[in-house]
Amino acid sequence: MNIHHLNRTDELTRRQFMLNAARAYLGVHLFPMLGTSIASAAPAAVGAGGKAKYVIYLYMSGGMSHLDTFDPKPKKKAVMGPTETIMGKADVPISGYLPKTAQVTDKMCIINSLSSTQGAHEQGTYVMHHSYTQRGTIRHPAFGSWVLKLAGPIHPQLPGFVAINTPPAVTSGGFFGAKFSAAPIGKPDEGLLDSKRPDEISEGNFDRRLSLADKLNQQFHTRYPNADVKAYEELYRDAIALMKSSDLAAFDLSKETQATRNLYGSGNFAQGCLLARRLIEHDVRFVEVQLGGWDTHYDNFTGVEGRCKEFDQAYAALLTDLEARGKLKDTLVVVATEFGRTPEIKAEHKEGRDHHPNAFSCVLAGGGIKGGVKYGLTDTSGNKVKQDVVSVQDFNATIAYALGLPHDLVLMSPTKRPFKIADQGKPITSLYT
Amino acid sequence: MFRILTYIVVCIFCTKLSVHGFTDVKPKGDPEYLKKAALQIDTLIANFYRNKKLPVPEVTDDATFMRRAFMVTIGRIPTAEEAWAFIEIEEPNKRVDLVAYLMKSQGYSSHMTNWAFDLLRLRDYRQGGQGNSEPYRNWIREAMDQNVPWNEFVDQLVGSSGNGWDPKTAAVGYYTSDRGMPLDNLSNTMRIFLGTRMECAQCHDDPFGDTDRKDFYHLAAFTHGQGQLNQHLMSKLWGELRDERESRGIEYQVGQLFWDRIYGMSLGGGGDGRIELPSDYQYRDGKPGEVLGGKTPFGKFTRTSDREVSDDGREKFSEWITVKTDPQFSSVIANRMWKRVMGKGIYEPVDEYIEASKTVYPELMLYLSTLMKDLDYDLKKFQNVLLLTKTFQFATNPKPSTLDGGDDFHGRKIERLSAEQIWDSLITLSNGDPDRLKKRTVDNRIYVGGKPVLVGEMDMVQLSNEVLALKSEAQVRKYYKEFLERVKKGGGVKSGGTQMMMEEVQKYGANSVVRASELPSPAPREHFLYLFGASDREVVEAASKDPNVGQMLSLMNGYVQKNLVNKPDAHVYKSLKDVTSSHEKIRRLYLAILSRPPTEEEMKWMLAEVESAGDQAYRNIVAALVMSSEFVFLQ
Repeated sequence: MNIHHLNRTDELTRRQFMLNAARAYLGVHLFPMLGTSIASAAPAAVGAGGKAKYVIYLYMSGGMSHLDTFDPKPKKKAVMGPTETIMGKADVPISGYLPKTAQVTDKMCIINSLSSTQGAHEQGTYVMHHSYTQRGTIRHPAFGSWVLKLAGPIHPQLPGFVAINTPPAVTSGGFFGAKFSAAPIGKPDEGLLDSKRPDEISEGNFDRRLSLADKLNQQFHTRYPNADVKAYEELYRDAIALMKSSDLAAFDLSKETQATRNLYGSGNFAQGCLLARRLIEHDVRFVEVQLGGWDTHYDNFTGVEGRCKEFDQAYAALLTDLEARGKLKDTLVVVATEFGRTPEIKAEHKEGRDHHPNAFSCVLAGGGIKGGVKYGLTDTSGNKVKQDVVSVQDFNATIAYALGLPHDLVLMSPTKRPFKIADQGKPITSLYT
Repeated sequence: MFRILTYIVVCIFCTKLSVHGFTDVKPKGDPEYLKKAALQIDTLIANFYRNKKLPVPEVTDDATFMRRAFMVTIGRIPTAEEAWAFIEIEEPNKRVDLVAYLMKSQGYSSHMTNWAFDLLRLRDYRQGGQGNSEPYRNWIREAMDQNVPWNEFVDQLVGSSGNGWDPKTAAVGYYTSDRGMPLDNLSNTMRIFLGTRMECAQCHDDPFGDTDRKDFYHLAAFTHGQGQLNQHLMSKLWGELRDERESRGIEYQVGQLFWDRIYGMSLGGGGDGRIELPSDYQYRDGKPGEVLGGKTPFGKFTRTSDREVSDDGREKFSEWITVKTDPQFSSVIANRMWKRVMGKGIYEPVDEYIEASKTVYPELMLYLSTLMKDLDYDLKKFQNVLLLTKTFQFATNPKPSTLDGGDDFHGRKIERLSAEQIWDSLITLSNGDPDRLKKRTVDNRIYVGGKPVLVGEMDMVQLSNEVLALKSEAQVRKYYKEFLERVKKGGGVKSGGTQMMMEEVQKYGANSVVRASELPSPAPREHFLYLFGASDREVVEAASKDPNVGQMLSLMNGYVQKNLVNKPDAHVYKSLKDVTSSHEKIRRLYLAILSRPPTEEEMKWMLAEVESAGDQAYRNIVAALVMSSEFVFLQ
């Protein structure tokens, strides 16, 4: 990848974006002058979106059964199997596997009409995370990288994009380069590993090491002027700035009271949600947390029940906790997955359900989204979308819109091809208050 | 001095040779043949430069060659001793000798195993059920170790059936680990072995390609029917045991052992050869529920009947892949191996096949695919040829390829090492040659309720073979009863037996300091390997070489500090023993870590460091060298 192109893209973004923002503001406000973050410059003018500043993106990896979670069909016993339906707050029906979530449905906007063209995990997960289908010839930036690129980081030292329990393949900066990739967290309990200098190394020796390594790296980079090599050099500097940041405690779950930790529940996903809340409180822009294991081809109902146990308490706690702290209004909490699962129950696979990209559900909450709402409709067995179909790109455009980002801004890749944060997606503006 | 050096070199290079030497040299595998083939490739590349009027890249220096050859062939840096020996020895043929040395190293199969695991999405455990992939994992590991020819390897995987525990048939893991998703399994088969992408056609006609959904189902017919072997004979018994499962007593546990770990890991039938169109089939050329027979979409036509269930669908399918798609099958694997050795594929992505005539260099692609066949799909010999070329020795070119998605043959592209290469190199520095350790083996012991039973009397291979051979419900019930009694009587563990067997079982947990290929798969999320982008093995070849801030922190403060820099008995410090001159100490650290001597300028920096930091300086130097970009990039 060529560095000059990247820099040019950088420049282009800023200029074009400011121009767009200026246009949007003309006649409405005085142009909020440089110095404020770009994100806060764009919002309100484009519509009613733009209230969100942060995103917590909860990804249900493997394909979450829409019927057994957010789109139950109580009248169709044949497609529901043993799954029951309960009535959540604001009269929103929801799966019986999600009793705690039922208590917060008044804050949620459930979209039942998603439809994807990608029916395999890798491709489905890719399009959800990148808005484009996977190609062998280009690496698209992840959605979080786009947000970072367009909105900029808020905190000067902490990473703007953090991925908890999420494979690096879907959190890569792609052609934006490594500095837009997520900082990875394996176990939330352990926080950002190795972010402190080990006690046995004195500060003096530590600095000597860094300065020696820096000399070596510069020499290597001069010898091999290459974008990947350069990215390494830059990341070192970021890492050192991060180590010296007084806000490193953002990653430290032990700073939370036991009561709060219990509120979310145990397990990596639950604690990941709590960590996500801490991170956005410390001005990290975009946090993704994954919960795997939704690929219930085999023994669907036992599988879904288990997954829901992991999800239910943590999700309800996250919304409640954010609201109590006054952060729900500027934090968009997304629940997403690559596809749903078939209405048909396969007896020969121990009551399994297969992939179903035709119709599935995702959820938005906070960040200016209307609560207690269901959007879109599937047919009586949850097989096809009957009303208000939402493409993956529309869904992503809706998230961008919540952040006040220009979903139609074109950026050029280093290979001079045009890309947008949500491809051809159009935001569903009616979801906003 | 020179004589001592030669002695060391001979020792290092030859002890291994005698231990692990291969004897079965095929006629076409003799060294002269390999050399000729290498020359042929170099001639083709030279013509390429001549035709394009490009300058021929220079040949790289010994140190860069050595590090490159080690990384590409055995996936780790040379040990301090190996590096020292190779740099010091003055032999005109030493590059050729080095290749021969590496080809004989245990490390070769370890490095290939990582590749195969990524390709085959090898996970030790799959969700749901008590089954595991250990015997399958071991089957792949052994196949790499024995260098099973690629066509045989694929044949055995795709055509497999039988007992998942028996080493002869453990390849069934290829299907059983994808149980419940046979169509995804088929898409992956077409992708990894033939470079044909059919994922779209699982659900609809591919709008960009020429595969229809019906074509896909015609293919799926071959492998349809991936149920368990004879499991129905136990259905009733298992139902009864499950009804009483609240107690979770030993009766249930033994039942679960049979149901999940024996029947559950087996693959019955041989592939139906016919399949019904799915209930949501949407095109006019077929109806939901209509039965299709097997039909292959390209290559030499192979079919199965739609009238009756066959028992050789998978065998027919695997034969079609390996024999009847020529030259697609050979081209895909030849191109993959080219990428592995040379850094870039002739066409990329490597899992999207392109006919030789449409690649940037048809003659070369054609030659490689022919060579693959001439060498009888011996991947080791094929890589050996590539390693012997001048092309492999070209100097590093920091510029990305000028051709979209393929090699421009203009020098070695600089690239970050894989997570496994970095890990295997770090443990070489901290603990010395990792290839002297034992490989991981399968735990064949019979576990009931989490504890091994009847150890020393019976193992899973024998038990599963006996259970799967039972012919009727009554026989199963009888066997179950007798086995249950035996376990009860045996009281779990027999004294003496455990220990005897334990020595044979070589397990490695996540904290072991062993080759990545021997660690749990996939690496746990908090492991160094995962942080550096090792594949989670949920999807094909999902490894990433992207840097991130966590990696930097790990190199500065984490694993590397604890287990290498600040560990006084780390292997890298051993080579400093008895050396007094700081000059020589620095030189040895450079050889051990970067596999080259320091430049004069670097020597000055490092001597200055010794001057001001004293003994602590060597740790600082080790830390700085490991943190340097040069350590994590392949030149």
